[in-house]
Amino acid sequence: MIDVKDLTFSYGKDKQALHGLDFSVGDGEIFGFLGPNGSGKSTTQKILTGILKGHGGMVSLFGKDIRSAHTQEFFQKIGVLFEFPYLYTNLSALDNLHYFASFYSKEQLRDAEELLDELEFKRDYLKKPVSSYSKGMRQRVSMARALISNPKLLFLDEPTSGLDPAGAVLFRKLIEKERQKGTTVFLTTHNMLDADLLCDRVAFISNGKIVALDTPRNLKDQNSNHSIIISYLYQGKREEQTIEVPELKTGIPFVYDEIISVHSQEPTLEDIFIQYTGRRLS
Amino acid sequence: MWKSLYSLFKKDCRMMVSGRFFLVALGSLILYTLFIHFGYLNFMQAGIYNVYLYDPAGTQTEASSLVYPVASLKELDAALEADTNGVGIDASSSTPSVILYTAARKADQHRKDYALSLLHPDKGYAAEIVGSNTPEMKQRREITCELLFIEIVAVGFLGIASVLFKEKQMGVIRIHAIMPLKKSLFIFSKVFIFLLTDLVFAALMTLFNVGLADMRSILPAVLVQTAILSLIMALVGFGCTMLLKDFKQFSLAYLVIALFAATPVFLSANTSIKMAWIIYHPFYHVYMGLKKAFFGVPVTNPIYYICVACAIILLFGIVDFAFRKEMGKEG
Repeated sequence: MIDVKDLTFSYGKDKQALHGLDFSVGDGEIFGFLGPNGSGKSTTQKILTGILKGHGGMVSLFGKDIRSAHTQEFFQKIGVLFEFPYLYTNLSALDNLHYFASFYSKEQLRDAEELLDELEFKRDYLKKPVSSYSKGMRQRVSMARALISNPKLLFLDEPTSGLDPAGAVLFRKLIEKERQKGTTVFLTTHNMLDADLLCDRVAFISNGKIVALDTPRNLKDQNSNHSIIISYLYQGKREEQTIEVPELKTGIPFVYDEIISVHSQEPTLEDIFIQYTGRRLS
Repeated sequence: MWKSLYSLFKKDCRMMVSGRFFLVALGSLILYTLFIHFGYLNFMQAGIYNVYLYDPAGTQTEASSLVYPVASLKELDAALEADTNGVGIDASSSTPSVILYTAARKADQHRKDYALSLLHPDKGYAAEIVGSNTPEMKQRREITCELLFIEIVAVGFLGIASVLFKEKQMGVIRIHAIMPLKKSLFIFSKVFIFLLTDLVFAALMTLFNVGLADMRSILPAVLVQTAILSLIMALVGFGCTMLLKDFKQFSLAYLVIALFAATPVFLSANTSIKMAWIIYHPFYHVYMGLKKAFFGVPVTNPIYYICVACAIILLFGIVDFAFRKEMGKEG
């Protein structure tokens, strides 16, 4: 679906934003693109969506070189959720969706109301202006806008931002559902939980370079110290021991009266990111 | 393409309705019309110059009662010193001579004609007749032209900016970057709706203030010149909105345009102030084109239309570049 080789981009003479990125995204894959502010995530997404021109290297989408791919046919096949919920605030959710939907062919469109129902949008607000919506409601309408054209390739920038935990779970389910339909998802995020739960593979980008690219599982396995912490009671006293996983082959290697808890010492994606880049995500 | 353009156009209409732009345009139309009918024309009919006559021999027996007789040249001098807008007539010799204290070549002829006409009010002083318009019709056409120019340059220009700044603040311009439509249609739709509004405004202004009978012969040329001015202003307004950060900065740019672009044109075209460089000012030619259209002598010089077409194409190119840059900006 997406093939990127030696992608470079510069905003000016001395402002190189991307330094030779290499990655590919397969059909129906959810690919996470993770990096702190200013790392080059948005620049990459803008190049892929045709907003920024003048890049170096080779980028192909849907099997076509990007320089010739950004036609109206290309835009019919993609959906983009921006970092902020950009909407006409004087129009209602339905008016916004009908307006943006009007640029696509009727055959590919989904029903706006059904889509909003799926996103658990409050029906009372369907015809009220967006200016009266909460951030979460705006994000739902924006997601509906990105999905209304049944895109084959979906670019999502911080999809769960501004949502409460229940809303975030709903969005993840919806993204998962899109993948099951065969949609390819390019997910740009700071949110490690989203990346961990959703992505087939993730790429860490820092200072315009990809510093790691693998499945979340492999990244964790490769960077784990394979140890666990066990809390237990012995002779009425609470104690804790860190042991290596192989030691468990012969059972718990110490005496105890009662096990209270067992905690894996597996690193989170954020720990791994810091390990690779020396920087936090946000 | 037509479907996309229709969607954009419909949305732009809704934006303009919600921004009360049409209401403001209607208000301007009513205000201008009331001003022309009940203010400007009455004001222009007032006897505006005092005429002082020194006639020691009493030769001017038919002089109007509007003339103020003075007893000596010294008194005439004092009267003109106090009333610099007045006109003095020294009839001590066989041919009355006119004395003006403040002088401007074009306006003085009018003052001189008016003063001399008061010496023979019954016969009617034969001032040079220029054109076939009555003085009232001349005034109507002049002021309608001026107000139409102001409306398009100021109100239309601000109108497009206010609609676009809203869209810019909402961030929705960026969404159009990933929509399956030709990006230039976004600009085209905006410019087109302002053009239509300005054309309707120009037609109504001409109808209400010049009258149906006189409007027929001048309307096509007036609409052509209005279209030229409207396209230029809409594109300049669009470009400024894309390049400037917010409405505050735009207001400053607007002041610069109003002060340094429109003011010299008005001064040069409507007063006796002469500026040799004004012929290089593009707005001067567009304004004069509109004025000529109102007086039934449309511009036929092809160079004018070629220059205008080039300017519009160049402006469209700049606006298209600025628009694409805006679409690629961060949130």
